[in-house]
Amino acid sequence: MLTVRGLAKTYATADGSFQALRGIDFDVPQGGFYTLLGESGCGKSTTLRCIAGLEEPDGGSISIAGHVVADVERGTHVPTFERDIGLVFQSYAIWPHMDVFANVAYPLSVQRPRLAAADIKARVMDALRLVGMESYTTRPATKLSGGQQQRVAFARALVRRPKLLLLDEPLSNLDAKLREQMRFELQELIARTGVTTLYVTHDQSEALAMSDTVAVMAAGRIVQSGAPREVYGRPVDRTVANFLGSANILRGKVVDAHDGLAEVTLDGGASTVQVPSRAVLSPGAPVDVIFRPEDATTHLDPVDGAIECAVERIVFQGGMSECQLRLGPVLLRTVVHPVMGARPGDRAWVAIQPERCILFAA
Amino acid sequence: MAVQADQAPVVGVARRKRRRSQLGLAGSIVVVGAAAAAIYLVMAPLLALLATAFRGPSDLLPFEPGAHWTFDNLVDVYVSTPLLSSVLPNTAIFVAGSVTVTFLTAFTLAWLVERTDLPWRTTLFTAILFPLLVPGVVMAFAWTLLFAPNAGWINVMLRGVLGLDSPGPINIFSMPGLILCQGIASVPFVFLLLGAAMRTMNPALEEASSASGARPLTTFLRVTLPVLRPGVLAPLILATLVALEQFEMPLIIGFPARINVFSTRIYFELNPEDELPAYGKAAAVALLFLVAAVVLLAIYNNLIKRADRFVTVTGKGYRPTRYPLGRWRAPALLFVGFYLAVGAILPAVVLVWTSFSGGSNESLNLDAYRALFADRRFWPAVGNTFLVAGLSAAVITLVGALLAWQILRLRFPGRALLDVVSFMSIGIPSVIAGFAVMVLHLTIPIGLYGTVWILILAYSYRLAVSTRLSRASLMQIHAELEEASAASGGRWLDTVRRVVLPLLAPSLMASFVLLFIVGFREFTIPMVLQSEDNWVLSVIMWKLQADRQTAQAAAVGTLILMFVTPVIFVLRRQLLSRQGDS
Repeated sequence: MLTVRGLAKTYATADGSFQALRGIDFDVPQGGFYTLLGESGCGKSTTLRCIAGLEEPDGGSISIAGHVVADVERGTHVPTFERDIGLVFQSYAIWPHMDVFANVAYPLSVQRPRLAAADIKARVMDALRLVGMESYTTRPATKLSGGQQQRVAFARALVRRPKLLLLDEPLSNLDAKLREQMRFELQELIARTGVTTLYVTHDQSEALAMSDTVAVMAAGRIVQSGAPREVYGRPVDRTVANFLGSANILRGKVVDAHDGLAEVTLDGGASTVQVPSRAVLSPGAPVDVIFRPEDATTHLDPVDGAIECAVERIVFQGGMSECQLRLGPVLLRTVVHPVMGARPGDRAWVAIQPERCILFAA
Repeated sequence: MAVQADQAPVVGVARRKRRRSQLGLAGSIVVVGAAAAAIYLVMAPLLALLATAFRGPSDLLPFEPGAHWTFDNLVDVYVSTPLLSSVLPNTAIFVAGSVTVTFLTAFTLAWLVERTDLPWRTTLFTAILFPLLVPGVVMAFAWTLLFAPNAGWINVMLRGVLGLDSPGPINIFSMPGLILCQGIASVPFVFLLLGAAMRTMNPALEEASSASGARPLTTFLRVTLPVLRPGVLAPLILATLVALEQFEMPLIIGFPARINVFSTRIYFELNPEDELPAYGKAAAVALLFLVAAVVLLAIYNNLIKRADRFVTVTGKGYRPTRYPLGRWRAPALLFVGFYLAVGAILPAVVLVWTSFSGGSNESLNLDAYRALFADRRFWPAVGNTFLVAGLSAAVITLVGALLAWQILRLRFPGRALLDVVSFMSIGIPSVIAGFAVMVLHLTIPIGLYGTVWILILAYSYRLAVSTRLSRASLMQIHAELEEASAASGGRWLDTVRRVVLPLLAPSLMASFVLLFIVGFREFTIPMVLQSEDNWVLSVIMWKLQADRQTAQAAAVGTLILMFVTPVIFVLRRQLLSRQGDS
């Protein structure tokens, strides 16, 4: 559906140039929900703006539903208004001089040949019903709350039934509670319309919860892409591991490695763990062992094979608590039930599930 | 045919730069047209003027047969001539003096209205604006009726009270008279600018000074004034530019006193008593003052940039504390009252009275109006005035807004130059603008010279008013609002027509009203470009008073007042509502 190949973009800046995109490749299948995830400045918004035609790439090609909309080598560049897209901006960009109906009707009213007014009305009302705003048609845009503006922005993006829906951090201007609610609404909306969606965000929980495929971007490249569980569970490097959820990193040395398993002694203790390893490692090689807080259990009594540490603090978070533990220079984080009666300074033993650990050569 | 229409659009066709393709053909034509208009309205006349200064002999047009490149004009004008010994010093004294008067008056008025508990502030605010809308030529004429040494009302009255002999005691036809008149006439617009600066100042800065133990005067000198400095210096330079280009006061008040400043000098080079117009010499004189204006403008631009960095304003809701005037209340009211008497009330009264009395003490009658309405020049002049003011305001507003949009939103070679050209127009003295348009259209004979259309072209050089206003509000309009239109399938013209222009409407309206007023007041350009067919009201009035048809001239003045007075209230509402916004 959406195919992006070798996309590159360089901006001239005051002191030289800045490579915003360094060769981006990906495909989104028909009906797919693809998320570009990364910190600000990683190039995710630039990618989206190139696909929308709001930026012109310096290299690569983009095609939407079989139409080549940009191909630098062939000099193709289709202007934004001829691309079959719907776009929701971070600021929603609801036109303040129009009411809700006029905002949503706009994409239909600029179509050539012209649509009949009755058709426009019917389709606008369909779109407004879809987002639950059908009773606000005559409300001026300036009298809408943030959540309502967003619904109108969605209705406007979907009203002409585009082949591709582009969402540029659509939830980041909402407060936390509303954001969660809108996330589910949005997911349901997209599932119902079946539209192919490209979603840009810096919020990993949104990315993990909503996408079919997540692509983590950094410094103008896609570092890793795959199903959310795969990217979360098998990050390709420390950056991805750190960016997607919190990760504990322990230093260690390989003692023995065979059959895709590595035996690692952790620094600062006599503990040895056996972890799966994709890379071929020779004994004595320094490695990082990475595990998620939820992949370890915390005990107040000694447990075989567990790592002994000191409780630093317990952070109560409602349904669960985060336990921070001191192991030499390293601070580990684990998840515990809030009733666990540990106090700062107590001894504690952290048992890791070795098969859930990830190993990187240090 | 149907088969062809059904074919899918060819998407692979090579397209050039994105912006261009986003614009489409119609968009490109509009954008290029606006740029071309800017060049035609501002650059072309100035280049023609520049050429004229270096072509001789002086009485020929620059590209008439027989003309050649020469420095004669510059030598004639700048080597030991009256220009250096009298025009230059006169201009300097006139500008420095009138700007001082303007500034001291405007600053005091602005401070009293914005920062003290002066009573009836809103009413006074409105009244102070009066000379802003009344054409300078009307004010000048009214003041001569009041202060002429022999028959001036005030002089007659003073002589009665003091038992003096004619003439005097006040002689308006002198350098001090000229300075005071011009000084008072320029007060309103400086008052508006200073008032805005004072209004947006964060009062916490002053409160912090008070809380540190400073007395009010110390606070004023050590905090208020320094913080206001950029907001005060920029209007000061603008006032200097305005004084430099003044023509009506020097013509009506200065000429009888044999005081020539640069604008009247250019005018008389072009309209000598019984010789041919000296285009080359006039252009040579203009050159010096154009350079002076551009230098002032560069300083102004620099100050404005620094004023932006110098944040006295962070937005909303300041309610500046007002100083209690206490026992200074009466003197303050007296000061405001004196300004209003001289700047608004007396001129209005004397005009109305003279128009009905024929200037003598006979009974009131309508003779002057009857004669005026029967004058075959009068009604065409009324039509011309509104036509020229309205059309030029529309042209400038539209071209300026498009120019501001493309300078802000597009990247193209020559963008910086367009920006400079449109901004420069603020500093070009109107006498030079009129003269430059004259030379250009005498050189390229497309039949405009001598018609009312050339006035519209000449008035339309003031692009900066519109580009500045439009730019300010375009910066408030997030680019995403325009991108959302493109992403909805809107073509460039859809975006401009349905998103940009409606959002810009308030500032387009403000720009139109402002430029209409400027065009309505205009006297210099129609004087320079006048012919039988393109007289406007201000020129007719000058002709009548020069022909000693005092009552008829006063009747024209009265009619202008009747039109302008309601506009003051509309303008006040706009100014006050904008005050509420910010």
